[in-house]
Amino acid sequence: MADYSPNGDGELQREFVERWRDNAYGCFSSGHKFCREVCPVMQVTRNENHTPTAFHADIVAMEKGVVSVADVADDYVHCTQCGACELRCPNTLFTGDFYRHRTRTVDVVKAMRALMVATGNEREGWKLWNERLADGTNEPVLGDVPVSQEHVRDWADGLDLPVGGDTILFVDCEAAFYRTSYARAFALLLQRAGVEFGLMREQWCCGGPAAEMGYVDLARKHAEHNVADWRAVGARRILAPDPHDYIAFTEDYPAYFGDAYDFEVVLGVELVAELVRDGRLALTEPVERTVTYHDPCRLNKRKGVHEAPRELLRTVPGLEFKDVDHVTQWSYCSGGGAGLPIEKPEITAEISRRRVARAEALDVDALVSACPWSERPLSQAADGGLEVMDLFELVARSAGIEIGGAAHGPAGVEAGGGG
Amino acid sequence: MSVAFKSAVDDAVLDELRAITGDNDRVLPNLTSRVNRTRVPAPFPVHRWSEFMPDVAVLPVSAEEVSEVVKLANRLRIPVVPRAGGTGLADGAVPLRGGICVDVKLMNKIREIDLTDRTVTVGPGINMLKLNEELRPHGVFYPDDPASYPCSLVGGRIGTGGWSLLGARFGHTRDLVISMQVVLPTGEIVEIAEGGGRKLRKSSTGLTLKQLFTGHQGTLGITTEATLELVPRPEVEFAAFFAFDDYMKAYRTTGALTKSGLATLAGVVLFDEWKLRYLRRDDEAYIPQPGWVRAVVAVAMYGTRAEVEPASRRVMELGRSEGGKYLGDEISEGDWASRHDRYATPLHGRSRDGQAVPMSWHCEDAALNYSVLPQVREEWHAIVERYIDRYGIFDDWGMFAYTSGPYKPWADYLVEIDVGIWEQRLDDESWAGWVACKREIAEVALKYGGSITACHGATREGDAELVPSEMGSAWEVVKRIKRALDPNNVMNPGKQMLDEAYE
Amino acid sequence: MSIFRLGDQRPPEPRRINEDVVERFEHVYEIDPAKMRTFPQQELPAWDTERIVAARWDHLDWMHAHFADAVLSAGLGSETMPEAEKPAHSAAPSPRDEAEATE
Repeated sequence: MADYSPNGDGELQREFVERWRDNAYGCFSSGHKFCREVCPVMQVTRNENHTPTAFHADIVAMEKGVVSVADVADDYVHCTQCGACELRCPNTLFTGDFYRHRTRTVDVVKAMRALMVATGNEREGWKLWNERLADGTNEPVLGDVPVSQEHVRDWADGLDLPVGGDTILFVDCEAAFYRTSYARAFALLLQRAGVEFGLMREQWCCGGPAAEMGYVDLARKHAEHNVADWRAVGARRILAPDPHDYIAFTEDYPAYFGDAYDFEVVLGVELVAELVRDGRLALTEPVERTVTYHDPCRLNKRKGVHEAPRELLRTVPGLEFKDVDHVTQWSYCSGGGAGLPIEKPEITAEISRRRVARAEALDVDALVSACPWSERPLSQAADGGLEVMDLFELVARSAGIEIGGAAHGPAGVEAGGGG
Repeated sequence: MSVAFKSAVDDAVLDELRAITGDNDRVLPNLTSRVNRTRVPAPFPVHRWSEFMPDVAVLPVSAEEVSEVVKLANRLRIPVVPRAGGTGLADGAVPLRGGICVDVKLMNKIREIDLTDRTVTVGPGINMLKLNEELRPHGVFYPDDPASYPCSLVGGRIGTGGWSLLGARFGHTRDLVISMQVVLPTGEIVEIAEGGGRKLRKSSTGLTLKQLFTGHQGTLGITTEATLELVPRPEVEFAAFFAFDDYMKAYRTTGALTKSGLATLAGVVLFDEWKLRYLRRDDEAYIPQPGWVRAVVAVAMYGTRAEVEPASRRVMELGRSEGGKYLGDEISEGDWASRHDRYATPLHGRSRDGQAVPMSWHCEDAALNYSVLPQVREEWHAIVERYIDRYGIFDDWGMFAYTSGPYKPWADYLVEIDVGIWEQRLDDESWAGWVACKREIAEVALKYGGSITACHGATREGDAELVPSEMGSAWEVVKRIKRALDPNNVMNPGKQMLDEAYE
Repeated sequence: MSIFRLGDQRPPEPRRINEDVVERFEHVYEIDPAKMRTFPQQELPAWDTERIVAARWDHLDWMHAHFADAVLSAGLGSETMPEAEKPAHSAAPSPRDEAEATE
């Protein structure tokens, strides 16, 4: 019988196993393993330890005293929480709705990472990242250059955006500090269409990445802060252009606050598609490029959003759009999510390299994504070959908007986003 | 006494393995690497997990590495357990004596696509679905299509001698693999083919070894490369499902379809009454069906439109010839496209009081001739019923009979009874009960002139003990071959009763 | 454009289909919750049911196209269901007789 408490916390591990054993057996009893060939990490490492199967089997093994959290900790780092596995799993795809019980690999991985933090098995890179997040209230996306609350609205210089109001625009850390062109493009599109909105008084990171890396208290603290800020300005509706934030606001925050969470959350790409469809945004400037589209994981797999971005691409005049269907893209990823670039940058780099290679094989000159967190690793992998574009920036260009800002942060900033 | 030895993997061996790979990250003696290369998706005694773990996992990237590992194993008498996907259903990849798990997943490249001589050459670690995604732009595909199509790997398909849902049209793994590179149990790297050339399908030179090296369950070597058939991508797919108020009408319809002479027939599947009752639990196609629907026959065809279109009309006639009623386009097409997925969702399981509980899936896979199908079905269900009564943690998920003769729909059938096992409640007593149930089922197959396994392999308790009796007079030959090729019994030892070769 | 409101995510009350099966959303069967006491159900918000159902249909289309360029249909509906009971799937795939496979 293995020792349950390698770090003196057998109780925590026992509680964890108790909580997650149904999920574990739901997978383990099946053994289908359809998850592994759609898993972006597995495609690169081919290591069975990193399969969603293993993530569930390890819990069964834990229950039987065969492994403990210290033994498996490194394995659970190998995940971008893209959601491909849990969607493709027949226990979700074919019967998840019937039984109201589906595979939840993302939750399992998050929970194990939280157990790692609670039992002294945390990862060094994540620990440092989240310490800096706690200090700076926003993710340290500029490498050695610190970010701070003082500068969280700098991206909006010259746009004359009010603070507060009943509709709030939430701008994720990567866009607020690194890819400011993304934030500006989105804000300018809304202004052009006459949509009224304001910014937060104090925008902290949504807390999603902290939760993904297992820092549950920090994540909760951020959520509480942001919701208090929204309430303080009478916000009713939150605009979330970034898919990661959209997930935080429609999954994490409801779990924290329950029925008290009465905000409306609008996904940025759906809003822009509607504005174009309704004629409130006219795309008049041709963009003579040949492009393909990268379905961001947190839009396509996690939320089932894949039509609106394609509708937009088909509306941009002059654009030749070579599509790859959204089901094939269940197995695509940039590798940028869930802290993977911090702990395993070489795996993120390889996942992105493969994604870019697939785009290059289509004979296009640009890969368009709709998620700023994917755009950094994809750009790095493209390395001056294929152009990696952002959808809002492309649409803004076609609307004749001068965006400003920068796509790649200040010069000399190190690689490695948080996701 | 059979050769039984303890694994001798110590630090010195680990150092040698690291020297062979030149990469410490591909030699994995740590606990989770072993824990996660133990089980395959078949019922597993989780309370005895550590008994079945390998001592170390090695992830080779070349035939040379595999060869060196196997030579080391021979020198030191360490068991070698080859593992491709680990997605088999009969424990072929489960180590019985620890040892070195040779995990070939990194060997997943496409080495060559030859559109002129119609072959694709790949590593054993590639999955067929991913391979076909790459082949599609060339208008060809590799039609090895088991239920595990989205996850099983070419090496495992060769090792198990896999069966394909489309086998009646395109053949099974054995027919689709043209030649391969194999590391023998003594470590030599050899080319195994029909004859000399790597891309020849038919030859009579020397001894034809290819058949021997497919379906050996990892006991005769490790495939390190395979040259596969490239089949023209079908223009059309046609699927039709028919419902019957009586199993025997469905059974006769199956006979009529399979003897029809239609060349584009890819597969015919007969669902029995227990299977229909099971599908009514949670399959949206069957939930609303009227009570008189007790059996189903499914047919699928692939080919050019010019061939399939007229053939499909004949299929519709035959499907109705015994009173079968068409289930409609939506269900036929949807259920056919679901064929990989509708197999083994754990929550199909029902406890004795009707509660949904997650059950692990045991899939018995006998090969049987047409004439005995109805009788075997009755005997099998009676057996499972007894064990359900006695142990309470099993569940009868019904039977399928699938066309199984390669290119010959009229030939024998892969006959499956699917048994759910409530793994969370499994203990030593019920485990032994389940093994006994398995054995009884297998014995019925033998009684009726069948085989205990059409495709999964007889590599676990409940099946393995019957291998010698099924082989009959050929068992002597089998033992001689095994001993000749694997003098030290290192290659997947303990499987299929082959230890007897060393007595 | 969908607007996320937590209040909208609560699934409707079930209506009975047969002794084992209920229905909350149109044409989406579910197990009778009484059969999920030993192994409890999860909280599945409405958006998730919708996502799963849509993904399933998309996956089936993909699987057809993966194996062949077109699906040939008999062109017939169900011969087993009484007219009144025939379910019409809200997310019915478009006619595929002559459809080109999606890339």
